[in-house]
Amino acid sequence: MVKMKTTDFINELKDALEIEDEDQEITLETNLKELEEYDSLSILSIIAMIDKNFAKQIPSSDFVKITTIKSLMDLIGKEHFE
Amino acid sequence: MGAKITNIEYYLPEKIITNNQLAKQFPDWSSEKIEKKVGIRERHIVRENETALDLALVAGKKILKNYDKDKIDFLLFCTQSPEYYLPSGACILQDRIGLKTDIGAFDYNLGCSGFIYGLAMAKSMINSNIAKKIILITSETYTKHIHPKDKSNRTIFGDAAAATIIEKSEEEHIGEFALGTDGSGYKNLIVPNGGLRNRYNPNAKEIDDASGSIRTNNNLYMNGPEIFNFTIKAVPKVVSETLKKNNTTLDEINYVIFHQSNKYMNEYLRKKINIPKSKFCENLLLKGNTVSTTIPIAIKDSLDNNFIKKNDNVLLVGFGVGYSWGGTIITV
Repeated sequence: MVKMKTTDFINELKDALEIEDEDQEITLETNLKELEEYDSLSILSIIAMIDKNFAKQIPSSDFVKITTIKSLMDLIGKEHFE
Repeated sequence: MGAKITNIEYYLPEKIITNNQLAKQFPDWSSEKIEKKVGIRERHIVRENETALDLALVAGKKILKNYDKDKIDFLLFCTQSPEYYLPSGACILQDRIGLKTDIGAFDYNLGCSGFIYGLAMAKSMINSNIAKKIILITSETYTKHIHPKDKSNRTIFGDAAAATIIEKSEEEHIGEFALGTDGSGYKNLIVPNGGLRNRYNPNAKEIDDASGSIRTNNNLYMNGPEIFNFTIKAVPKVVSETLKKNNTTLDEINYVIFHQSNKYMNEYLRKKINIPKSKFCENLLLKGNTVSTTIPIAIKDSLDNNFIKKNDNVLLVGFGVGYSWGGTIITV
């Protein structure tokens, strides 16, 4: 299994959320739901991003529990990351 | 011998809701962002006193204007917005359209997969000599079920009816079907109240979904992320099964028409399945998601715009509420 770097994951996430500001600081501790770009449409983008990179579907009941980016990575599975 | 779609007509209710109108009501809604992501600018919606049966009647009369309606020997009516619990809307339509009485007619309750299932039934009825000329009417008014403050669903759905005539033909023009059902997801796209399990509740409390949409259990509920998860699993599989059952490949297919759910989902599925953009129908802009009617509307529009022409092989795939899904290949 190819493992993904955290920085690559954060970049994928920025793309999914259409965050265009390169300087906007996003870390593992950033709370996804507090981002201005996070809405019901961006959830679709995140689902697509996870399916594309990890061939996984996150149940919507788990989506509710997501807080930080780290918590999203834990949901996907630690084994998928370097 | 076989069956063939010989004509399609559709009708959209006159009233239009634009993104700009929605943006006025929901200030954090950007009209441009919606159009870019969901692919919808306008949707037609019924007025208070207008029903799916009314739309069906207009579409039915339109298609029979230049057709001997006494030749129609079966009526199939697909809707999830019925006039009554009983009788069937199909029986009322038989009379209002002015079809003869020695014909069969019934309703069936399906959403986004409804047109595919209608074709499957029409084909089998023709090939088993039950009928020779069938009118299939799909008509949907989800907007009647949607709460006025439900931003997400008001953005996506529009109302429409389509009438399709399927006739006995020398050669088979409707291919093999791959059909699917998974009722474990029934709660993810549902109108919870109003049936006999949970009666309509005039005092139903408002539910805030935390992303700016409000509804009650009397209204349409859609769990968008879960529906997307379902399509990611089901649609690539039904595409490959449909191709396999018809002994063909995507290369041999001239055009692909998916149920028009929303642009983002359909585009993701297109890329995942490797369907070239040039072969892929996108028809949401001025109509939105009209549930069981998106596919016949898309076939008609694609013919009118010369995206498809006579003898083209067109892959049709419907998927959604139920969950229910299906695919087939038609030769236009």
